[in-house]
Amino acid sequence: MPNLEVSKKDLELLLGKKFAGREDLEGALEYVKGEIDSLEGDALKIDCKETNRPDLWSAEGIARDLKARTGKEKGIKEYTVQRSKVDVFVHENLEKVRPLIACAVVKDVKITEELLKQMIQLQEKVGENYGRKRKELGIGLYDFDIMKPPVYYKGFKDNEIEFIPLEWKVPMRPSEILSQHEKGKQYKHLLEGSNLFPIVIDSNKTVASMPPIINSQTTGKVTEKTKNLFIEVTGFKWETVETALEVICMALADRRGKIFSCRTHFPSAKKPYPAKTLYTPVFATEKMSFDKEIVNKKTGLGFKDKEIIDLLGRARYNAVIKGSKLTVEYPTYRTDILQAVDVIEDLLISYGFNNIAPQKIEMNVLGSELKESKYTDFVREGAIGIALQEVMTFNLSSKLVQGVNMRLANDSFVEIANPVSINFEVLRKRLAPQLLDFFSKNKGQSFPQRIFEIGTCLTLDDKAEQGVRQSTNICVALTHSNVNFTEAKSFLATLCKYMGAELEVKKKVFPFLGENSAEITVNGKKGFLGEVSPGVVEAFGLRKPVALFEFEL
Amino acid sequence: MPSLNDKVKELSDIERKLLLALSKESAPLEDASISSGVPIDSVRRASAWLNEKGFAIVSEKETESLVLTADGEKALEKGMPENVLLETLSRLGGKSTFVELEKESCLSKQEFMAALGINKRKAFVVIMQGSISETGVAKQEDFSEQNFLRDIVDKKKVSDELSLELLKRGLVERRKTTARTIKISPQGEDAKELLSKENISRAFDVSAPVPEIFAGKKAPYIQFLQQIRSKLVSLGFKEMDTKLIVTEFYNFDVLFQPQNHPARSWTDTYQLKNPKKGALPEKKYVDAIKAAHENGGKAKSKGWGYDWSFDIASRLMPSAHGTAHSARQLIKGVELPRKYFAIARCFRPDVLDATHLIEFNQMEGFIVGEELNFRHLLGMLKDFAIEVAGAEKVKFFPDYYPFTEPSVQLSAKHPELGWIEFAGAGMFRPEMLENLGIKGEAIAWGMGIDRLAMFKLGIKDIRYLFSEDLGYLRNAKGVLL
Repeated sequence: MPNLEVSKKDLELLLGKKFAGREDLEGALEYVKGEIDSLEGDALKIDCKETNRPDLWSAEGIARDLKARTGKEKGIKEYTVQRSKVDVFVHENLEKVRPLIACAVVKDVKITEELLKQMIQLQEKVGENYGRKRKELGIGLYDFDIMKPPVYYKGFKDNEIEFIPLEWKVPMRPSEILSQHEKGKQYKHLLEGSNLFPIVIDSNKTVASMPPIINSQTTGKVTEKTKNLFIEVTGFKWETVETALEVICMALADRRGKIFSCRTHFPSAKKPYPAKTLYTPVFATEKMSFDKEIVNKKTGLGFKDKEIIDLLGRARYNAVIKGSKLTVEYPTYRTDILQAVDVIEDLLISYGFNNIAPQKIEMNVLGSELKESKYTDFVREGAIGIALQEVMTFNLSSKLVQGVNMRLANDSFVEIANPVSINFEVLRKRLAPQLLDFFSKNKGQSFPQRIFEIGTCLTLDDKAEQGVRQSTNICVALTHSNVNFTEAKSFLATLCKYMGAELEVKKKVFPFLGENSAEITVNGKKGFLGEVSPGVVEAFGLRKPVALFEFEL
Repeated sequence: MPSLNDKVKELSDIERKLLLALSKESAPLEDASISSGVPIDSVRRASAWLNEKGFAIVSEKETESLVLTADGEKALEKGMPENVLLETLSRLGGKSTFVELEKESCLSKQEFMAALGINKRKAFVVIMQGSISETGVAKQEDFSEQNFLRDIVDKKKVSDELSLELLKRGLVERRKTTARTIKISPQGEDAKELLSKENISRAFDVSAPVPEIFAGKKAPYIQFLQQIRSKLVSLGFKEMDTKLIVTEFYNFDVLFQPQNHPARSWTDTYQLKNPKKGALPEKKYVDAIKAAHENGGKAKSKGWGYDWSFDIASRLMPSAHGTAHSARQLIKGVELPRKYFAIARCFRPDVLDATHLIEFNQMEGFIVGEELNFRHLLGMLKDFAIEVAGAEKVKFFPDYYPFTEPSVQLSAKHPELGWIEFAGAGMFRPEMLENLGIKGEAIAWGMGIDRLAMFKLGIKDIRYLFSEDLGYLRNAKGVLL
């Protein structure tokens, strides 16, 4: 979810309208699935939940959408594109590395502090979110006036090229950038697997950038003095690359920049290339048709044709209805539109969710709970009846608690690959260690302490569907100075009597239980019963003995 | 002034027992415990109370008594060294050398020399030309010191002369102790007479605190979840089965989340080291989901346009959201019409603190029916807000989920909490339903119940939902939705 920072005043300027108050602003942001995260003076932070629409991730984008939603403009916004006479040549040696590039020039941009901020943010958000952390998109903006076209996009070996990366003073080789520069270290994995480094370079042999890692300090430093911009987007999928380029160009054009296209020459017209030669940005549109009845069926609202067309116009679609067929036209950068429902949601957002009357569902169906839920509730009642306090511990635990402390250091557990903390690295196999751990945190509470937990446990099991067997266990643990086997067995026997369960107790030694321990079978399911061995009691830092039992339900 | 009768009435059972056993003669508390039959710990407390009420006089006296040293303990157990020496000598045939006797007697050099000196002085042995012989005059009673050690342990009186001897030999030492004695007071005698004559029932101080009882109780959060579950059952929902470990197929792929989506990264979800991969369901379902992702399949959709990986879908993970269980239900098959729900344990990599849990419960579900539309979705959400959260007002916001379109967020105005984000919902995407052959529409929802739970439980720190504090659990009031 992109978090955007904009100046409220700047947004109002772009929109040509002042917000009446916080509520007015809140209401407007609903159109772009935005929520105010904070508003301090002029600094507005927005959580934008629209994760598939990079065109909305800047003050310019939000203003563009709101202009239509509020009725100031309608339908697809047209952008004029002139030809720049800049050619871009793409070398075939990048086909397997990072094959695609799309470029544009935007002239007469009055670069202000706000514009710079928004451009940096947009570039960042589009690259990170839409470009999957720059994997699928690298974006660069350059001072066009110091570049000499044509521009080349070509792979170089490490010893063939060097340049000064942004925020650096001396020239570096690509491998040095990847190992020393902050951005290089952050994104170096994106260039792994090839000995070629993609480079954008002009006819003066001045490097513009090494996508998707870093721009050069020479041409890649855009300031308030810059007038004309060269924009370059690289990646793997034409639709993604073209979308990003259009998003950047539109934002600049919304601030009165003039868009000029570049002509790109690809090695061939075959995939992954879109064509042998083409001009970008294209600002193409596409169309989708479906039965207009689907709108009313999905929404439950009886929209008339005129309303449908108007509401879609506010969502920046050009819509026409012929007979029962609704045809919508929209820009290709709307890559989030996959199906008619996506268009219908946009129409509903224009209409306003809170203008829709909710309708009760008349459905004659009976509710029911799982047999397992009913049974655990039943057993829980029994445990409470014998004056046990229920506790609820986490499923996530540590090898220390589940293994080492229990004298089960070689036991294996369902294990997390990316734990945040060693306290939560495995999923529990038994409840007993969790309850011993619980006791260790309550040494200051009065005794006797008699507790129980009913919860899920996981055991590695090759025969189970996912290699994991999930069971629901009950564990009862008792601690006070005189606790012993007999007391635990009394609780077990009483609980089994309540459950109507057959109980078998057979002498057996478990690593974590002392001499007085037994294997138990309750309704045919196995468990253990006994006094916790002094070593285990000590490992948990307990001062009083513990007796317990655990079995599967 | 309360009358004697009133004062007697308020005496507890142990106070009464102790009072009846007291006499004018001061006696140690230990003796009072024996004569009254009240355990010593209780006597200590009751004597203080009786003293305070003026029925008894407790005095403290510092006394000095003899106690055994470590050597004394040894002598008590094994016999006095002189006795040991003599017995050893007799065992060795009545005659032995210094070296042999010392070795065989197992005495330390110091003990051996002292023991030899005593026996020589008492003429029990003679030493001639380096060898030791018994004289045969010693009798058993001549070794009474050992009995005296027993007397000291039993706190019996021993003669001063003997005490000095034992002190000198390091078998005993003096230790100061404070001894408490108790005797009855004149007022106590009156009370005792009254008690022994009449049967005076006990009067309780009704305002006095009472001992705590630790009841059998549910964990408050479980009690809350049980009631939420009953509520949903009463609204016609059928509970779905849940699993802690699922394949990414259920957690993401069935739910139309593209495989390169950032939300599928390590920072947002847990992945497993062991086991790593799980089984996928029947091929026809896998193919249907693959088609949905790659080209939209049968749903008149573009799909995401990439090569869907079987391998990524088979990766196992702890389920990250409750919708994974709705996905499992969609594959298992749904009845039409039907309402489904699950309360599922979910996992997200986060740092545990007062506002974040690493493991939490989510309530999720969906309704399937032939003629469901967006207005029904809003109707259902409004019902939830009123029935489950007791909300006064609701507001809807556009939202985004990969598996629903349109998607909506519900905010509810709770009478005490104010506006809370209460539920996310939407209509399952046609890419899912149509490719899985499910006719009709499905409206899906997920509810954030933790905030409501915290409110109902009266807690500010979210960790108390899984409280590790027995004191809190014992004292928590019951939860009533």
